Amino acid sequence: MKLLFSNPVSFAAAARRHRGINPPDHKQASLRSVLMDMPLPRLLYFPLCLTGKEPAYPLVKPGYSVLKGQLLAASTDGNDNLVHASTSGRIVALASHPRPDPFGSNGETLILEADGEDRWIALHPATDWQTLPATEIRSRICRAGIDERNDCGLSRWNHARQPEILIINALETEPYLTADQALIRSHAKELLTGAGILQLACGALRCIIAITSEKSDAIAALYTALQESGQQAGIEVMVLPPRYPITDRQLIDAVTGGRVPVEQPESERGAVLADVTTTMAVRDAVIDGRPMLSRVTTVCGNTLRTPKNFRALLGTPVGFLLELCGIDYQNLDRLVMGGSLTGFTLHSFDVPIVKSSTCVIAAAAGEFPAPVTAGPCIRCDACVPSCPVGLLPQNLYQAVKNERQDLMTGLRLDDCIECGACAYVCPDHIPLVQYFRAGKAVLSREARQIELSEYRSKRFEARRQRLARDTAMRRGSRRRSVARPENPDIQDSGLKTFSRTRAREEIAAAVARVQQRRRNAGKATARPRDPDQDGRS
Amino acid sequence: MGLRRILDDVAPHFDRGGRYEKLFPLFEAVDTIFYSPSKVTVSEPHVRDGIDLKRIMITVWFAAFPAMFYGMYNIGFQANHAIAEAWWVSSVSGWRGWVIDLLGAGYDPGSIWDCLVQGAVYYVPIYFVVFVVGGFWEVLFAIVRRHEINEGFFVTSILFALILPPAIPLWQAALGISFGIVVGKEVFGGTGKNFLNPALTGRAFLFFAYAPQISGNSVWTAIASIDGTSGATSDGFSGATALSQIATDGLPAVAAATGEPLTWMQAFLGQMQGSIGETSTLAILIGGVVLLATRIASWRIITGMFLGMVAFSYFLNFVGSDSNPMMALPWYWHLVIGSFAFGMVFMATDPVSAAMTDLGKWIYGIFIGVLTVLIRVLNPAYPEGVMLAILFANLFAPLIDYCVVKANIRRRRSRGILE
Repeated sequence: MKLLFSNPVSFAAAARRHRGINPPDHKQASLRSVLMDMPLPRLLYFPLCLTGKEPAYPLVKPGYSVLKGQLLAASTDGNDNLVHASTSGRIVALASHPRPDPFGSNGETLILEADGEDRWIALHPATDWQTLPATEIRSRICRAGIDERNDCGLSRWNHARQPEILIINALETEPYLTADQALIRSHAKELLTGAGILQLACGALRCIIAITSEKSDAIAALYTALQESGQQAGIEVMVLPPRYPITDRQLIDAVTGGRVPVEQPESERGAVLADVTTTMAVRDAVIDGRPMLSRVTTVCGNTLRTPKNFRALLGTPVGFLLELCGIDYQNLDRLVMGGSLTGFTLHSFDVPIVKSSTCVIAAAAGEFPAPVTAGPCIRCDACVPSCPVGLLPQNLYQAVKNERQDLMTGLRLDDCIECGACAYVCPDHIPLVQYFRAGKAVLSREARQIELSEYRSKRFEARRQRLARDTAMRRGSRRRSVARPENPDIQDSGLKTFSRTRAREEIAAAVARVQQRRRNAGKATARPRDPDQDGRS
Repeated sequence: MGLRRILDDVAPHFDRGGRYEKLFPLFEAVDTIFYSPSKVTVSEPHVRDGIDLKRIMITVWFAAFPAMFYGMYNIGFQANHAIAEAWWVSSVSGWRGWVIDLLGAGYDPGSIWDCLVQGAVYYVPIYFVVFVVGGFWEVLFAIVRRHEINEGFFVTSILFALILPPAIPLWQAALGISFGIVVGKEVFGGTGKNFLNPALTGRAFLFFAYAPQISGNSVWTAIASIDGTSGATSDGFSGATALSQIATDGLPAVAAATGEPLTWMQAFLGQMQGSIGETSTLAILIGGVVLLATRIASWRIITGMFLGMVAFSYFLNFVGSDSNPMMALPWYWHLVIGSFAFGMVFMATDPVSAAMTDLGKWIYGIFIGVLTVLIRVLNPAYPEGVMLAILFANLFAPLIDYCVVKANIRRRRSRGILE
C-alpha cells in the first residue's frame, strides 16, 4: 500500500499543469445520505439505439416473459450494446419512447412490466477468480454488457499491447456528481476486487486508483480497505487536486509522470483507463456472473427534499427516482441528465436510466442561471486558460463561425473534449460547446466527402482499366478466333513477337474504321454503348 | 409586473413585420435591461461563472472614476490658479459662470469644491456630448444591422472624454467620437471586430485633423470662455504640458501652477497641465488596481509596457545627448508625465485590440513601452507618444499572435507532444 499524494511538489505541479476551472461543486447535498437501493418500478424502458453505439436488435417480442439478467437485445455481431432485463417480468411493447440524448428524441424501446418477483436467470458464479485465465475473465466481462465502446471508459484494452498501468478513474470532478464517491464510501473493498480482476484481465503490472483530494471519506475508505486486504500490493491510491475537468491524457500524464504525445493513439500509451462504475460491474460480472443491471446514479437538485445516490436499475424512468426523493414539481425549472457542465436537458420524466447516466439534476428556479443571448466575443482570453487540452477556444470560435476548415483543423478542433469549461467562464455567454460540436460536424462531413470522392475516383479508375482490359481482350480473342482455324501456332507466335510496322498498320486501320463509323453515324450519335452503363454502377 | 405587461403588449410591433420593426434593437435593449429575454435555448453548460460582459464594462467604467474626478478637480485647480494670478480677471462669464455662481462656488484654488465645480463645468459638457453622439452612432448601427446594443460604448465614451484637453470645443469632441466609433469600430463589424482602439482612433483623428488647436499650449487651461471665444486665450493663460516643456527646455524648466518647479510628487499626484484624465498617475493606478484585481486588465500587458519603458529609457539615458533634453529623462518621469499611465492601464489593456496569447501580451506590452519612449524622445514633432505607440501596436497584435501560435505549434510538433 502506497499513498501517492505524498509529494507536495508533484501535487502542485499537477495543479499547475492542469488548467481547467473551479466551479462550486454542489456535492454535499447528495452525500448526506448513504447509497440506497430502490424499490421496483412498475415499468422499465430499454432503449435500443443510443448515441455512439451500434443499434441493438431485440431478441424478444412483446408478450414474452423474461427473467432478471436475461439478454433482451444485442447488436448484430452480438458484441456491442447488450441489453439485459434488470428484473423479471413481461415484455409489454416495443414502441417509440423518449430516450436519453441531447436532442430530446424518441427511439425504439423495449418496455418491460415488472412482475415484482425479481427471479434471476441461472448464474454461473466463479468462486476463485484468481485462478481464471485472462481470456475467460474478458469473455465474462464482454458477456455482461460492459462493452469497451460504452461511456464507462474502459478504453480499448482488448487491442492494447501489454499495458503497464491500469488506472481506475475515480476523479469525478464535475459539479453535482457524487456517484463514485458514494460507491467507494460504502464498497471500497469490492472496488479493490474489481480493480484486481481488471488488472489480471489486461495484464497491467501496476494499478492506480486516481481520486481528487476533496473526497476525504472515500480516500479513507480506500485506505482502510487496502489495509485489510493486505495481499493486494499492486494497488495504489493517487490523490489529485480537485479541478474540473481532468482529461484522460492529463490523468495518464499525472500517473506516469511523463507527457503523452498527441498523435499517439490511446491503445499505445501503455495505460488502461476504467471508471468506478465499470470496475464494480466487472467485479459482479466475474465473481457472481451477473450482467450489468444497475448503476449508481446521483439524484439531486434543489427541488428534491432528500437528494441521494441510488443503485438504480437500468431502465428505471427518472421520474420514479425523483418521486422517491420527494420532488417539488411546482418549483421545477430544468431537468438535466449528466453533470451541470456536460449534461443535457431532459424533456420527459419517462427517460430511462442507461449505463452512462451518472446523474439526474432536478433544478429549482434560480438554481441554474437563466439563459441569456450571447454577445460579441471581445477576445477577453478568459477561455484560454480554462481549456484543459490547451486549445484556443476564442480562435476556434471564430474559425467555426467563419467556416474556416483549415483553421479548425490547424487549431485542433478534434482535440476538444466538450467539457464546457470555456463556455462556463465566457463573460459573453457564447455557447462555445455548441459551436465546437457544429464545427466538428462540418469537419466530419468534409472528411466523409473526401473519403467518398477518393473512393469514387478509385472506382472510376478501376472501371476505366477494366474497360480497357476488356476491349483489348475482345480484340485479341476476335483476332484469334479468325486466325486460329488456319494456323494457330503461327498466329500465336505472331502475337508474341511485336512488330512495329504491323502495329502502325493496325492503328491506322482502327483510326480509319472509327472515322468511317463516325461519318456513317453522323455527328449526333458517335458514342459506343457502354457495356457497364446499366445494371452495375 | 406592470412594466413586463407593457413591454409584452408592445412587443409585436417590434417583431419582424411589425410597425416599428426597424427599432427592434432599441426595444430589445430596454427589454434586456429589465428582464432577460425568453427566446433562448436551454443547453449545457447549465452553470456559468459569475463574470459577465456587462459587469466587465461597468467595472472598467467605474475604474475610470478616480481619474475622472481628479481630472475635474485639476482642471479647476489649474484654471483658478491662472485666474488668481491674472489681476484683470475675477470671474468667469457666460453660462459657466452662472452655473458656478448657482452652486455657490468661488475661484479659490485652495478650495477643493471650487476647483471641482470649475472643472465640472468644462468636463461634464464634454462627456455629455461624447456620450450622446457616441450613443447615437452605436444605436444607429445596431438598428441598421439588427444587432444588440453593446455596453462597450460606455467605456469608449468615458475613455475618449478623459483623453481630451479640457478646453476643446464641443464640436471637435463630437467629431472625434464619431470618427472613433464609426471608422474605428463600426465599419469593421462593431464590438469585438475592431482592430484599433476606438477611443484612441478618435483622438488620433483630432490630433491630425486639428493639430494646431489641439496640441498647442492654449487648450490645457480651461478658462477659455472668459473672453467669450473658445480656445483663444490671452498669453496669461497659456500653459504647456510638462512633456512639451521638457521637450523644448528640459526638466528644470517645468513649472507647476504655482510657478515653482514641478516636483515628481506633484506630477505623480497630477497637479499639472494635461488632458483631463491623464494627469494623475495615482488616480489612474487606483483604477488599475481594480482592473487587475478583477482580472479584467492583463497584468502581462501592463508589466510588459512598464518594463519596456523602463528598459528603453535607461538605454537612452546611457546613450545621452547634448541637444535633446528628453534623452536624459529618467523612467520615473516618463511614468508620471503625459498619458503613459493612462495608456498603460486603460488603453493598452483593451482586449479586443490587444494581443491574445500570453507570450504575445508580453511582446505587445514591451513593444508599446519601447515605442512610447522612442516617439517621445526622438520625434520632436509629437511629444506625446503613447497614443501613436498603442495604435501602432494594435496593428501588430494579430501578427504577434500569429507568430506566437505558429511557434508554439512548431515547438510542440518538434517535441511531438502537446501538454
